[in-house]
Amino acid sequence: MNIENTQSQMRKGVLEYCILSIIKRGEAYPGDIIDEMKSAGLQLLEGTLYPLLNRLKNAEILTYRWVESTSGPPRKYFHLTEKGEAFQALLATTWNELATGVELVTRKPSEESDMNNNTI
Amino acid sequence: MKKVININFQGQVIAIEETAYEMLKQYIDRLTRFFAREEGGDEIVNDIECRIAELFGNRLKHGLNCITDEDVASIISSIGQPEDFDSDYEETASQPGAAASSESREQASASAPDDEVRRSLYRNSGDRILGGVCSGLAHYFKTDPVWLRMIFVLFFGLLFWVYIVLWIVLKPKELETNVSKRLYRNPNDRFLGGVCGGIAAYFKIDSWIPRLIFLLPLLFNLIGMISFFPLNFLFDDVDFSWNINMSVVVVYIVFWIIIPEARSVKQKLEMMGEEEYIRSIRERVSSNVASNRSRSDGREVPPATPANMAAAKEESIEKVSIDEMPPLPTDAYNASSNMASTNRPQVAPSSERSGCLNGFILLLKIIFFTFVGFLALVAVSAFVAFLFAGAQMMPLKSLFIDPGQETTLLYASLILLVGVPIISILIWIVRRVMKAKSRPTIGLVSTILWFGGLVTAGILAAQVADKFSEESTLERSVELMPVEGKSLYVDMKPYQDDYSEFRIGWGMDTDIDHLPYTNVNEDSLLFRDIYLHIRNSSDSLFHVRTVAASSCHELRGAKADLEEFSFDITQHDSLLLLPEFLMVPIEQGFRKQSITIEISVPAGKTVEVSDVLNNYRNQEPPSVVRRRIRNYTQTYMTMEPPHNEDEESEVGSEVVEQI
Repeated sequence: MNIENTQSQMRKGVLEYCILSIIKRGEAYPGDIIDEMKSAGLQLLEGTLYPLLNRLKNAEILTYRWVESTSGPPRKYFHLTEKGEAFQALLATTWNELATGVELVTRKPSEESDMNNNTI
Repeated sequence: MKKVININFQGQVIAIEETAYEMLKQYIDRLTRFFAREEGGDEIVNDIECRIAELFGNRLKHGLNCITDEDVASIISSIGQPEDFDSDYEETASQPGAAASSESREQASASAPDDEVRRSLYRNSGDRILGGVCSGLAHYFKTDPVWLRMIFVLFFGLLFWVYIVLWIVLKPKELETNVSKRLYRNPNDRFLGGVCGGIAAYFKIDSWIPRLIFLLPLLFNLIGMISFFPLNFLFDDVDFSWNINMSVVVVYIVFWIIIPEARSVKQKLEMMGEEEYIRSIRERVSSNVASNRSRSDGREVPPATPANMAAAKEESIEKVSIDEMPPLPTDAYNASSNMASTNRPQVAPSSERSGCLNGFILLLKIIFFTFVGFLALVAVSAFVAFLFAGAQMMPLKSLFIDPGQETTLLYASLILLVGVPIISILIWIVRRVMKAKSRPTIGLVSTILWFGGLVTAGILAAQVADKFSEESTLERSVELMPVEGKSLYVDMKPYQDDYSEFRIGWGMDTDIDHLPYTNVNEDSLLFRDIYLHIRNSSDSLFHVRTVAASSCHELRGAKADLEEFSFDITQHDSLLLLPEFLMVPIEQGFRKQSITIEISVPAGKTVEVSDVLNNYRNQEPPSVVRRRIRNYTQTYMTMEPPHNEDEESEVGSEVVEQI
């Protein structure tokens, strides 16, 4: 079993959710997203972001508008569509379920058994 | 010391080192190729370019003069190599649900194909000559694609369909080569295409050996051409046929086509093996340095720095970049970089060659291109002749093909079989010239259309063949006045009116007796399918009868057609006149109409056939007629024309006895 493979699988699953959440907070252009992800300590290969954004845009989850930039070429600012909002909300519930579930499962065995006893 | 150039990148003017620019350009090329199959791939690449431009802008704003190699390298590493995000994003693309949902079943299915991918059959879109089928097969069997290509070329007739089917069935995918050593054309060691250089590199021999093998027949031929060559008699027994020369040229061209050129560093390493490659770079560098030095202080050749070479060898294959060897001039960098233009390294050695050698090479090239030009000319003219002949056949169309559905079929299959390839070739050329991306759908659609053409042509052929499926005959006996003398004279009555021939093409109509002619009104077809058949009479009288034959898709049609034949035999005392043509109404079309005249000669009498009718005598009537003629034997056909009276009566009496 390749550890890197598993790790990247784990990261991949949450990538879309993270990106959509960042965009949900307000319009963002790819540079922002990368910076934010990096500052949060989430490793992201930039080359992976662009195709992903493109696919989300093709799926009408995102749209964008061009904004002139003072430093460099005009930027694409992305925001969520209605469909995208719903999509993001669904992902959020899934993530919460997942997070709590994972939390429960990966807790120390002793605590887990205690908790099970308590609930029963 | 590095050259800095200004580029216009995403609307910004950016000062960048030339080497860094090359690196960037390659990187973007790779991205473009990688995203080519993705929907909106252009846009993705454009987005990435924007990002790069922005990062450049930031760097330049911080007071840097220009973009350096390191800047580009760091940007590339932060964006990532296409190979790196290959697996990443492709799996999320195919399994977005699996990644998001927590179901373990889907997780398992997401990871399972990962291993299978490596062992399943694809077309290799990354390394292809036509469809990448051979390359994909080679990847599957872990061999060099060149061998498979050779097999496909050698057994072209057999494997053509296999190739087409695989082309359609297999999915394209960019595959990494999985063999360490491959046959490439060597751009650094070439006269023409680098085929011999590549072969030499592959077998680790000097490149003059394969070159000599390729040139030997040509040289022999040249010697053979010069008749005053003193030792010419030595070669008298050797077969310097033009064919051998041609086949050598063809083999060279085939190699040129099926062997890819080693462009990138990695490919060059695969071509000659790692050690060889580094050695060749070392030689190039030292000779370069030497030539630089020799300009200033004579012939002093410094040894290449072995320590540096060893250091470079330690690096991984990808990283054999000349950055490890700082004193290298740019020429060597070009040779090793992916963008190595094939001409530039060539300049240095050729300037060192003597004028005589250059002249010789030029001569060889001229000879070679003359050969190729000649071949191409022959091929093109054959094609044009074929087209013209086809066009000239069009007047005959109505004789085989009924108006209406069959004609529609004919035009449909012509357009699909001939038009579609021509149009797709044109599109391909235009796209090639415009450097547009190729669209696989166009190829697929035109292939499907072409096959549709094959199907319609097949249906048409079946329908036309069906018209010849039923044969019928009609016998008529001709009333003869009693012949006074010993002999019956048979002659031809020429057709009195004008008639026109169907012309097929330049002079090709002269020998075709059996093609129908039309009379001047164009309401009748005139056939020369007339057969003369002489046999013994059962009584003491001359008898003449005709057996007309025709075919149709049903017997009744054939019978009706036979009634309409016009073939009037006239008699003047002992002279029998046969018309020159068998005349049928033009509506019948060509249905293998023929007429056989059977003359029965009584014992003791002879028949004398005019020379103009020899043609009719010497041909065998169609099989359906032969079945009708009682006691038909080959004897009649091989018999001498009955000029000799004795022989005629002899043979006649012999057969009579048999009866």
